Amino acid sequence: VTQLVDRPAAPVQRVRGTNDVLPPGDARLRGLESRLRDSFEGFGYQGIQTPILEPLELFLRKSGDEIVARMYAFSHWNRRLCLRPELTASVMRAFVDDLQGHGLPLRLHYAGPSFRYERPSRGRSRQFTQVGVELIGASGAAADAEVLHLACAGLEAVGIKRYRLVVGHLGAALQLLAQLGMTDHAQGLVLDQMEPIARGRIDPEAAVARVVNLLGGGTGGSTNGVATGEVVPDLPSALASLPTEQATAVAADILSRASLPVEGGARQPRQIIQRLLAKASRPDPTDQVRAAFDFVDELHAAAGSPERLERELRPVLHRRSLSSAPVEEVSAALGLLAAYGPLSSKAEVEVDLSLARGLRYYTGLVFEIYVDSADGPLQVCGGGRYDDLVRALGGREAVPASGFSYGLERVDLALGPSAEPSGRPRVLVVGVTAADHPAALAVARELRVGSLSVEQDVRLRGVKSALRYADRTGVDLVVIVGEREQTDNTAVLRDMRTRTEQHVPRGELAPRVVEALT
Amino acid sequence: VTLLRMALPSKGWEDDVLRFLGQCGLRVDRSNPRQYRARMRGLPTGPAEVVFQRATDIFDEVNGGSVDLGITGYDIVAEHRSDEDEILVVHAELGFRRCSLVVAVPEGWVDVSSVADLAEVAVELRTAGHVMRVATKYPNLTRQFLYDRGMTYFELVEVSGAIEAAPALETADIVCDITSSGVTLRENRLKAIAGGVVVESQACLIGNRRGLLSDPERLEATRGLLELVDAYLRSRQQVSITANIRGESPEAVARRVMASGGVAGLRGPTIARVFPKDPSDDDWFALTVVIGEDALLPTVEALRRAGASDVTAIPVRYVFEHRSWTFEALKRTLHGLADAEREKTTA
Repeated sequence: VTQLVDRPAAPVQRVRGTNDVLPPGDARLRGLESRLRDSFEGFGYQGIQTPILEPLELFLRKSGDEIVARMYAFSHWNRRLCLRPELTASVMRAFVDDLQGHGLPLRLHYAGPSFRYERPSRGRSRQFTQVGVELIGASGAAADAEVLHLACAGLEAVGIKRYRLVVGHLGAALQLLAQLGMTDHAQGLVLDQMEPIARGRIDPEAAVARVVNLLGGGTGGSTNGVATGEVVPDLPSALASLPTEQATAVAADILSRASLPVEGGARQPRQIIQRLLAKASRPDPTDQVRAAFDFVDELHAAAGSPERLERELRPVLHRRSLSSAPVEEVSAALGLLAAYGPLSSKAEVEVDLSLARGLRYYTGLVFEIYVDSADGPLQVCGGGRYDDLVRALGGREAVPASGFSYGLERVDLALGPSAEPSGRPRVLVVGVTAADHPAALAVARELRVGSLSVEQDVRLRGVKSALRYADRTGVDLVVIVGEREQTDNTAVLRDMRTRTEQHVPRGELAPRVVEALT
Repeated sequence: VTLLRMALPSKGWEDDVLRFLGQCGLRVDRSNPRQYRARMRGLPTGPAEVVFQRATDIFDEVNGGSVDLGITGYDIVAEHRSDEDEILVVHAELGFRRCSLVVAVPEGWVDVSSVADLAEVAVELRTAGHVMRVATKYPNLTRQFLYDRGMTYFELVEVSGAIEAAPALETADIVCDITSSGVTLRENRLKAIAGGVVVESQACLIGNRRGLLSDPERLEATRGLLELVDAYLRSRQQVSITANIRGESPEAVARRVMASGGVAGLRGPTIARVFPKDPSDDDWFALTVVIGEDALLPTVEALRRAGASDVTAIPVRYVFEHRSWTFEALKRTLHGLADAEREKTTA
């Protein structure tokens, strides 16, 4: 016989890598967010909100493989969607959608949850809150300096005085990659590895091997199935000496004689053969890739205090006949940053032209801010200039832009446990019996002025039970209203901290409560 | 008595899995072949309850805890895993139903021979305003595989029915599909590419973490199962050879045999005195050794050189080691998980 038992349902676990923000953490994070956004508003920035749910395409355009591979993406009724991994692309989509006619520059600030599928650890959750700004429609050092200053000022406004600002510029690396003649695809693969190398997540040799492998090189030449080391050249390299048109025709003829159908749905036979021939004449990418990473290494070795810009970094660029514009732009931005007034005396500034952010859309000055924590440096902020994003998202014309975002939870972590706010003072109003409840409500209404938090007993289990609750949950004052108090037009005011109580005339109650709490 | 509950794959899998279990000494009884439930006999702890299900559903059944163990394809496990599931891969290589999940492109793409080529073609198609469409029944593995190789611009196409036909039907450009011999790919004018193996698969045994952790009786039954599986897998391609050989003493025979080479066996030969029918024939010894099947003839030759005759060879059915290493590994994993759980609740 099966006995039916009223078993409790199994608890529902929260999704791994996400957190419930419980009281008082919620109040603390909201306070932090509003102080950061207030500091942005002081510079004329206005708030914007964008959806958490975005078309996947938005991030495929320009965010880079490193981000895309970490996205929560899914199909819903044949629409390819994702949870936003960051907010800049969303804000810029909104700009292209609705704000292109707006006078420039446009200053926007935002805050909201973002999602990345990463291994959760301290300071890294799969859902986290970004708080940041975008300055749209301004290029040059003045705009860069405003963004840098805002990033530092926000942290100082919430009480973080000891931090390290690292400023870089992608121009150096981008110039070199172009000089090496690397394809966009190859450039992207190199840029993607710069951040993991800088963070020590991957060894530079391994990064070279990985990129070369992804580019199909490192096997010693052609990968067309002819064994390496053979003296006889393979068909594509033999054809490479002919003019393209002829080579294409010969290749097509040979393939059709071998009854190999050169057809591939979306791809034209011509395209296929031309790529086959192009591939054969292409040099092995190993040397290029190695040269690119050597350069990144050189840039990193020359990093340090801002004086090194002139002394060390300019010569590095000069030796490779690269334009020194990145050095000048960083130098000008840092010069103007100083004119905003001195940073906190405990702040350090460093320049590092090998700095690369995890996002592919940056084009110029980039920066990150670190705070020391028990587990090593904690990155609390990152940003930079991204002049190509508006066009990539379908904007009518190129619009220069820059911005940054804080990781709100990391800022909170950096502030440490001392940041616990004292919270609002709490008052509880209790009726002696259920019949006294309406009178208690009236008293509570009189007290609910100013910033007092006034609770009402609703369980109506009597004074003793209400006092027990007040004790357990840290209520400061309890106001008790019974039949006698209603007749006398008074109330009992009990101070839970000193465990004293007194009768107070109704007319004096509000001022006495405020007095007791200040 | 709590019975161990185990899910076995039906449909195309049934013959292979029953043969495997049979070779391990486990017999599955059911009243008729259409029955979904059966008993598996041969474990020292008593019979186990068996349910037959589709290989693709077994992951969910084990994950949900309606069965404790299941046999299914490693490809299916890899596709369905998440970092929050209850699945433990108890034995990853049962040695049958081997296949690979591979990326394959139309034969006509003569310029594409590697994954790097494919990444370039994806960029080329994208520039031309076309997203590369990949037909697969393994969206998670395929997506991750392509992401890890720097490809993000593609679209996964869900196809009901034959994946390999999708490029010919122009519902996809390329496929990511299971192959064991490559025949189906060739018949559909597709070719695998270098570096395009997403996952190598074979049958594997999975278990429910909570189920095994919370029930010592089922864990003990699992130990019995793993003893048999380990011993069977270890015994494959092994033969036990016995030969008669003349000599003055066991030591002298051993010296001669060892000197002739290649007769080491698992630890070394066992040599015992033969008690002859004819008392004058009293210098015979019997030698027993377990060797790999592929070493059979060289070993026989070596024994002959040492003077052996009457060599018999019989296949070994089980090789039991000091203990079942797979079960030891399972126990360690379960202990680790239990510790982690305790830490979480005390934290």
